[in-house]
Amino acid sequence: MDTKAYIESGIIESCVLGLASAEEAAELELLMHQHTDIKNAVDDFAASIEQQVLQNAIIPPAQVKDKLMRLLSGEFSAEKNVANPAPVIPFEDKKIDTAKIISIWKYAAAASIIFLIASAALNFYYYGKYNSVKNDYQALLTERNTLQANNDIFKTKLNDVNESIRLMADPVMEAVKMNAVPGKEGSLATVYWNTKTKDVYLLQNNLPQTPADKQYQLWAIVDGKPVSAGVISDCNGLCKLNNIPKAQAFAITLEKKGGSDSPTLTAMFVIGNV
Amino acid sequence: MPETLKYTEAELVQTLKQRSQQAFAYLYDNYSGALYSIVLSIIADKELSSDVLQEVFVKIWRQMDSYDADKGRLFTWMINIARNASIDTLRSKSYQNSKQNRELTEAVYDAGGNTVTNIDRIGLRKIIHTLRDEYSALIELSYFQGYTQEEISKIMDIPLGTVKTRLRGALIQLREIVKK
Repeated sequence: MDTKAYIESGIIESCVLGLASAEEAAELELLMHQHTDIKNAVDDFAASIEQQVLQNAIIPPAQVKDKLMRLLSGEFSAEKNVANPAPVIPFEDKKIDTAKIISIWKYAAAASIIFLIASAALNFYYYGKYNSVKNDYQALLTERNTLQANNDIFKTKLNDVNESIRLMADPVMEAVKMNAVPGKEGSLATVYWNTKTKDVYLLQNNLPQTPADKQYQLWAIVDGKPVSAGVISDCNGLCKLNNIPKAQAFAITLEKKGGSDSPTLTAMFVIGNV
Repeated sequence: MPETLKYTEAELVQTLKQRSQQAFAYLYDNYSGALYSIVLSIIADKELSSDVLQEVFVKIWRQMDSYDADKGRLFTWMINIARNASIDTLRSKSYQNSKQNRELTEAVYDAGGNTVTNIDRIGLRKIIHTLRDEYSALIELSYFQGYTQEEISKIMDIPLGTVKTRLRGALIQLREIVKK
């Protein structure tokens, strides 16, 4: 018989998969006993199908086994009871129980130690984290305070400027522009003189920076004589100076700190007539 | 699985024939997953499939005396019991009735994703889909739906001779694939 042709016919596969007719299956069974290579071909294919099926196994729900064991419980042989006579069972059970309890405690102790170590490690980790967060928080707090302080400064400056604008815009204000004298070109300052209250305000449009030991001083020229209207200190916008009831002109000189009794005429910067 | 076998196949068969509960538990633990995949590849419904799996193990247990190692390997024999039981369920009147209901609610089941499995991804079916179309259609009808070659000839409207030739061609190709 040509076993090779038979092996390549596909009959073996259809028999293994249960697709062949009863006659084909019976014929194969007969041939398997006569020809080793046919038997091997059957075994090979069956083994590879089994392998495939095993590889693709899907775990069934657990209750299937429980149900089966209950369903078939009456059909199992009594082999266990024969092998272990009744009196022995409780004794064995007791021994197993003691061993079990000891091993449970062992596991519990091991678990506690592992838990303790893990907990300690976590403590270190979180303490480090806590410190770094605390530092970050301090830095943020400082930054916030600086910003708040800057904000206050700007607010004050803005208030001063607003106040100055309000004063300058007042219709009772008379503006006296003081221009640079020869040698001090570029300098410019303006006196805002309240015609009702006679209060004097000064706007330094453009005056050079004073040396550390000197200050500008405003003079009112009253009937040809200079009268001090006060020294000019750092101020935002308009600087309020002394009340001057009457004047024909205003001038600014650079004087020693705190002001002088009479102006140093060589250090005059600006002058303007009312 | 094979690596952890503590019974040889002959020992397992012998102890099963002696009605050993331990041997049965062993058989279940080692082969239930594989047989469940066979059932699932034929019946998509998981709940129904576990009922069929239970029936399969009852059959294996009760037919153990009729198992003859000379006729084939134990596991191959069990696979065929699983396939036959699944196809019987597929063909049963109650299944056909429930199928009509199920088709109406198929979208709902699919959305839930846990009652009906995508059977194309299961076990042998996965391999069958790698075969040529004309081959996979034939194996689908014969192996997974249990039609005879005569029935397939009528369904596909091709001569019986062609069905036979093609089915054998398909099986030879399948053999080459599973050999790897």
